[in-house]
Amino acid sequence: MMNRKGNSVGDRILMALVFLFLYAPIFILIIFSFNAGTSSSVWKGFSLNWYAELFHNRLIMQSVYTTLLVSLLATVIATIAGTFAAIGFYAMRRKVREPLLAVNNIPMMNADIVTGVSLCLLFVVLFGFWNSIAEWVNSVQTLITLPTKLSMGFGTLLIAHICFNIPYVILSVGPKLRQMDRNLIDAAQDLGCTWMQAFWKVIIPEIKPGIVSGALTAFTMSIDDFIISYFTAGSSTSTLAMTIYGMTKKRVSPEINAISTLLFVTVLVLLAIVNLRESHAKRRGKAHRAVSRRGHKVLRGIAAGAAACALVAVLIVTGRSANTERVVNVCSWGEYIDESLIDEFEQKTGITVNYQTAESNEALYSLIEMGGADFDVIVPSDYMVARLIDEGLLAELDYDNIPNYALIGDQYKGLSYDPENKYTVPYTWGTLGIIYNTTMVDEEITSWDAMFDTKYAGQVLMINNSRDAMAAALLDLGYSINTTDEGQLQEAFELLAGAKKNGVYQAFVMDQVFQKMEGGNAAIAMYYAGDYLTMLENNEDLRFVIPDEGSNWFVDAMCVLKTSQHKAEAEEWINFIASTTSNLANMDYIWYASPNTEALAQYPDYYLEIYDEELDGELFEIMAAPDETLARCELYENLPRQTLTLYNDLWTQLGI
Amino acid sequence: MKNKLSRFAVPYVVWMAIFVVAPIVIMTVYAFTSASGGFTLDNFAQMGTYTEVFLRSFKLALIATAICLLIGYPVSYFISREGVSFQRMANVLIMLPMWMNFLLRTYSWMTILENNGLLNQLFRKLGIIALYNNLTGAELEFFPMMNTQGAVVLGMVYNYLPFMILPIYSVIVKLDHSLLEAARDLGANSATVFRRVILPLSLPGVLSGITMVFVPSVSTFAISQMLGGGTELLLGDLIERQFLGGAYNPQIGAAISLVMMIIVVVCMVIMNRFGEGEEQAVML
Repeated sequence: MMNRKGNSVGDRILMALVFLFLYAPIFILIIFSFNAGTSSSVWKGFSLNWYAELFHNRLIMQSVYTTLLVSLLATVIATIAGTFAAIGFYAMRRKVREPLLAVNNIPMMNADIVTGVSLCLLFVVLFGFWNSIAEWVNSVQTLITLPTKLSMGFGTLLIAHICFNIPYVILSVGPKLRQMDRNLIDAAQDLGCTWMQAFWKVIIPEIKPGIVSGALTAFTMSIDDFIISYFTAGSSTSTLAMTIYGMTKKRVSPEINAISTLLFVTVLVLLAIVNLRESHAKRRGKAHRAVSRRGHKVLRGIAAGAAACALVAVLIVTGRSANTERVVNVCSWGEYIDESLIDEFEQKTGITVNYQTAESNEALYSLIEMGGADFDVIVPSDYMVARLIDEGLLAELDYDNIPNYALIGDQYKGLSYDPENKYTVPYTWGTLGIIYNTTMVDEEITSWDAMFDTKYAGQVLMINNSRDAMAAALLDLGYSINTTDEGQLQEAFELLAGAKKNGVYQAFVMDQVFQKMEGGNAAIAMYYAGDYLTMLENNEDLRFVIPDEGSNWFVDAMCVLKTSQHKAEAEEWINFIASTTSNLANMDYIWYASPNTEALAQYPDYYLEIYDEELDGELFEIMAAPDETLARCELYENLPRQTLTLYNDLWTQLGI
Repeated sequence: MKNKLSRFAVPYVVWMAIFVVAPIVIMTVYAFTSASGGFTLDNFAQMGTYTEVFLRSFKLALIATAICLLIGYPVSYFISREGVSFQRMANVLIMLPMWMNFLLRTYSWMTILENNGLLNQLFRKLGIIALYNNLTGAELEFFPMMNTQGAVVLGMVYNYLPFMILPIYSVIVKLDHSLLEAARDLGANSATVFRRVILPLSLPGVLSGITMVFVPSVSTFAISQMLGGGTELLLGDLIERQFLGGAYNPQIGAAISLVMMIIVVVCMVIMNRFGEGEEQAVML
């Protein structure tokens, strides 16, 4: 080893600084897991609340389990496969090796989303191919029955992870092989080793550091991956990263900080134990070497046992998804349901709920469009519902199975996205408006002008979503938010681009808006009413206003995909969620307004009963805007393809 | 012996054909397809509009890679000079932060770097901002760290530094000591030993490290949105937008991605040519 010449103090200080750099954000994250409030920038006092909540959060706990399982398995498989592959490459002639290595690097070079999407398409094609073969085989003979309904799930997720992990292992092991003295292998064989022995006794020990760092890298990539998992996980499995990104449509819950802290501490403790035991063993001296070698064998045995257990677990998990009990696959947004409702529904009906979350309407759309997930119930927003209906992706509902539909208020029925009430049952609704900090803005904001005013240069947060951002500009100019007139859209774009050029915008944000507004980092932002109420909890100086020019109001509605295999269960779920008690629970959890008239009317009493204090009438009006305010607001309609493309082009231009 | 060993790669080559090459073929087909399904070159014709995004992404990724190398090399070198148990600890400790979700780590950086964030509050309390204002005549209320390109580079360095340190370390730690001793015996001082022996011998690790940092940095998404304020797109965001944006343009996304990949491949080939030459000179 190189420790004959140790490090100077200066060298050690540099190392310490690098570790400080790596760990500073981790400490902040851990500290905020003990925050009594929901913010990750405003401290509200010490509390263990999030840890307690965590263990009731089935979605998070399940995704932690999936994450660990898939990451460990993928790491083990990728490390073994990658090491063998690297050795094989190393033994090849350079002319053969170089192109192969180039291909190997492709998954690393590809943008994650492209890898995810192309793997998704590949699986869809492969499964389609398999299904038709299986059907044919089943039809010509009766001895064996092949499964004909393969769909994505844990298996595909695992394959995808192995896929992007192997290149990293090869990249880590490769340099070690190149560094190895090529004569060693020949010498070993000359001394009577078989090539198998040469492999185990010479090559493997030489390249071990490379294997270890390859495995570490692979595990890291696995645990952190979101987008590839999203496109390959199917409808019944969800990793922790997927759950976290699913929350960004609302806000990332502090429970996530808590679970991360727990995982972090667990790894640290394990690490400390391993190190202590090893230094202890070393102190016992050479006499015990034989023992420790036996210890290694024991360790190897344990590792093999663990791997076997993991494999069995996989079989169980995949096997479970194959049996025929009653299930419903729901895909919604993160933090968008009172989770006790899921348990309640399962107990009541015996139907298993696979609850997954997506990051945005658009992410959900592209997954469905590619045939990547067989969800039963989804909860898209109005304009996306219209698009899905247009493209024939939704199934008509049988409202006889959904008696609670009668409780939905008339003003939420027959809306532009589903004029004949054939496909949808509304889930929540709300409004879009301007949020501002009264300590930083000394006037009362009443107009969309504020979003474009150079007076607030560097203090404004524009929403990072083309439809909403353009809506603000269109409304400010006095146009409809559903206009398809190119001239008007161009004008709206000029307004935005001009403001951007003049430095009005501090940033374009989505979920980051919480942190920035709560922490007093920006003065003005546009966002949704329900989320304003969450921010208000952490910063009392914030105000919400629906500008005089009007605004957008939105409805998120439950619908069933045409491909659904569990339509009856899906309708049972929808009926359960549409009930007054479910709506009250959800309204209290999400702070978005309910379309159920009974629930809406009962909420102030419900609030009084639960929190033992009166609900502030003004806040209730922000959550559920009164009719006269709603009259100023418009729903988004699905725009024609041409207009959507124009939106996209303009929006991209704004970012260049 | 060698031929037998090369068989080890066969399963993976088959695997690559299915799970690496096939998706690439799918993507290439996409890149040459129009929205209505016919063959087209239009997707590439638009590429000119994105020149600035390409330049910006490569520039930031290069800076981040250079910084990672400047920090990562000495750190791996110093780690390799410590005791064995420290080395083992350090290996895991360097990777451990990355096991916390990317989004959470980035939120933490936001808490630290914001205009009203922890660092700026600290600077204010210490009077550093007032001092700076006195010295320069500026009227800052905070140091603008957030929403800058600097913050984006910081995010990249933070996320990919371990991928620089680990490969370099794993090569340095196994250097042949007799070579170093020989160099010293022949009268080389420490600086010369480092420059003429250690550095060239660790080159394979450095090349691996550069690849593992540069490649993901170019295609990274979300970092620029979260730390850079989202006002200046990077390639990863641009591609993501084509798939997950309002217009759903996978064809253009595939085309951009293809162009990006070709540029990266060219960069890598050039770098590895240079590297191979060096390595062989050393081996002799």
